Amino acid sequence: MQDYSRVTDEELVEIIRRKDKELYSKIIKRYQEKLMRYVVNITQDDDKAADVVQDAFIKAYINLNGFDVKKKFSSWIYRIAHNEALNLLNKHKKQLPLNKDIDFDSGISLEDELITKELKTRAHFCLSQMSLSYREPLSLYFLQEKSYEEISDILRIPIGTVGTRISRAKILMRKICQRTK
Amino acid sequence: MSKNKIIKTAGPRKVNLEKEVMAKISKDRITMKPKWYFVAGSMLMIVGLVGLSVAAVFLTNLTLYLLRKRGPGVGRLQIMLEAFPWWVPLLAIAGTVSGIWLLKKYDFSYKKNFLLILLAFVVSIGISAWFIESMGLNEIWSRRGPMKRFYQQLEKQENSLPKPRSGPFYHQSQ
Repeated sequence: MQDYSRVTDEELVEIIRRKDKELYSKIIKRYQEKLMRYVVNITQDDDKAADVVQDAFIKAYINLNGFDVKKKFSSWIYRIAHNEALNLLNKHKKQLPLNKDIDFDSGISLEDELITKELKTRAHFCLSQMSLSYREPLSLYFLQEKSYEEISDILRIPIGTVGTRISRAKILMRKICQRTK
Repeated sequence: MSKNKIIKTAGPRKVNLEKEVMAKISKDRITMKPKWYFVAGSMLMIVGLVGLSVAAVFLTNLTLYLLRKRGPGVGRLQIMLEAFPWWVPLLAIAGTVSGIWLLKKYDFSYKKNFLLILLAFVVSIGISAWFIESMGLNEIWSRRGPMKRFYQQLEKQENSLPKPRSGPFYHQSQ
């Protein structure tokens, strides 16, 4: 049996499209946990996240011939999951409004290590207190290890906006975590 | 910013999505859309956009042509619009809309700078129209080619209007 662990996502997609649709299970294995973690941060609900991720995998499979293998598969699948999650939120009207009571003090200097530490310990709780527009880029950057460019692709916002949102989200994160200590 | 490792947070509940999705795939309850579907979507959009561009360039060029030939005046645009082959832009719009609709159904990740596209579209239409007008293609098309009848109809309607005596756009040789 061939070892596909060294095969890139894009190459694997090409094989799935041309020869072996059963290999789609490898794609699911590679992304299941990552997408679950990402979608849980959006929906704040494990069961709904599982439905969203399942729908995302199904949608991705149906439209696999439309994927451009010259681009990054991970951005594509994250984008599908993002769309599915937002559709679900819109359906249930559960999208959280922006926390307007917290202002952005640009004078506050934040230690990244502190952010990382706080993320590690109480990430879910602090993240859940943030509005989606800050929660999503922050979780993609810190929890999913995506670059600014990838986040820009997934969320379809300019790279500059990604940077602004992440830096504001860090300030928010600290304030929320400190407030709820 | 140091982010060498993926931070493991209190992870979500484990769900075996692989089994559920693969069961649907194996039993052919879900199938991939064929490649031609996506090719058709792209083609329709390209053809539609090209058609739309051609119609826009032609309309702009015609405006410049009429301005040069007769000068600006009330009724000039109306004549042009009455004689304009509207099926061309309508077909182009229909093609573009269908293409975008088809593409939207699978286009998830590729972001586009719509403002830049729109700006490039408008500028290229203006330049193309000016180029066609200054090359004298309108005169050639009014004598031969598929648009001959359209130009003749336009000129016939034009002659029914009183000619302007002078003006910045008025061409003395007419």
